[in-house]
Amino acid sequence: MDFEVSGPKVFFTIPLDIPFLGDFEFSETILVSWIVMAVITLLCIWLTRDLRVENISKRQAVAEMLVETATNFVRGNMGTKFDRMIPFVAALFATSLVSNLISLLGLRSPTADLSTEAAWAVVVFVMITGQKIKSGGVGGYLKGFTTPIPILTPFNILSELATPISMACRHFGNILSGVVINGLIYAALAVASSALFRFLPWGLEQIPFLSVGVPAILSVYFDWFSGFMQAFIFCMLTTMYIANAAED
Amino acid sequence: MNVQELVTLVPWTFVAQICNLFIQVYLIRRFLFKPISEVIEKRRQLANAQITEAEAANREAQAMKADYEKNLAEANASASEIIQAAKRQAVLQSEAIVKEAQTQAAALKQKADADIAQEKVKVFNQMKDEIGDIAMDIAAKVIEREISEKDHQKLINDMIENVGDLT
Repeated sequence: MDFEVSGPKVFFTIPLDIPFLGDFEFSETILVSWIVMAVITLLCIWLTRDLRVENISKRQAVAEMLVETATNFVRGNMGTKFDRMIPFVAALFATSLVSNLISLLGLRSPTADLSTEAAWAVVVFVMITGQKIKSGGVGGYLKGFTTPIPILTPFNILSELATPISMACRHFGNILSGVVINGLIYAALAVASSALFRFLPWGLEQIPFLSVGVPAILSVYFDWFSGFMQAFIFCMLTTMYIANAAED
Repeated sequence: MNVQELVTLVPWTFVAQICNLFIQVYLIRRFLFKPISEVIEKRRQLANAQITEAEAANREAQAMKADYEKNLAEANASASEIIQAAKRQAVLQSEAIVKEAQTQAAALKQKADADIAQEKVKVFNQMKDEIGDIAMDIAAKVIEREISEKDHQKLINDMIENVGDLT
């Protein structure tokens, strides 16, 4: 048997040939990202339909709980002066979580594409740097690289750059490992199934009976738990780094 | 169909995902945080208004209670005052009645005493006359003869003296 984990499919290409950006490739990642955004937005609209001040519906209670949880999360990690960050962190978490879990529907997760996590990590990195410059000034920010002694400057620059790279790669690696392991399991189960049901006539042995049920159990960890954890860790690190940058 | 590399950075996807993230931030702010914050703020205002209202009502009730208590105390004070006044008046009245009664009784007694004394004198005089007559009759019958005027007179006087001693 041959088994292959491939990158996102490209549906069509617009030959723009802009320097550095190259041709625009409309890939699975972009399409599924839009689906994810649509899902989140429709969910928000549905949750906040028919809001009332008192005697609220269960739906409204859930919506209020989500807002409160996001608020508490950001305030708990960053204090009250970063309230404008709450929707950003909430959007990051929601996008990450839904992107991770959408693989349950058989779509390719946008988070199984390093470009996605790199984009998020770079945005967070810009925010961290902006916060550092805001709290210490450009001079203070540049001087921060020479502490505690100037000889460590290259290492400080490396560790600064390692922040977004590690954030992106951590998330991407976890999701990709889930994709790879899921692919391996499906392939292995298909082989095991055809070997086990070899006695069935009319090509029925080709139906991967074992693929029903077994992957669902494994997906509890690789999709649900890992998907939730990575979204949580990404947001946690975002808030922590920005709060730390404000303290220095 | 083309397939991208498994681990690679695609510049357009990268740019698109940055845009997507900020669009998502806007959408989540517009469709979740804004309406929920508004409704929570509205509820907070409502709760504040209700608390203020309740406090005002409480203050009013306290004022009314104090007012009532004051009025009640005043009423109690005036009631006891009235009772005291009534008692005093009753005492005065009863004293006046008793005094009047005593005066009247004294007057009556005095009059009665005077009457009695007068009656006594009258009776005494009558008795004296009657006794005189009786004595004369008795004497006349007993002696059955004329007594001299002198003896007569002496006899009567002795008799009267004796009667007077008796009284």
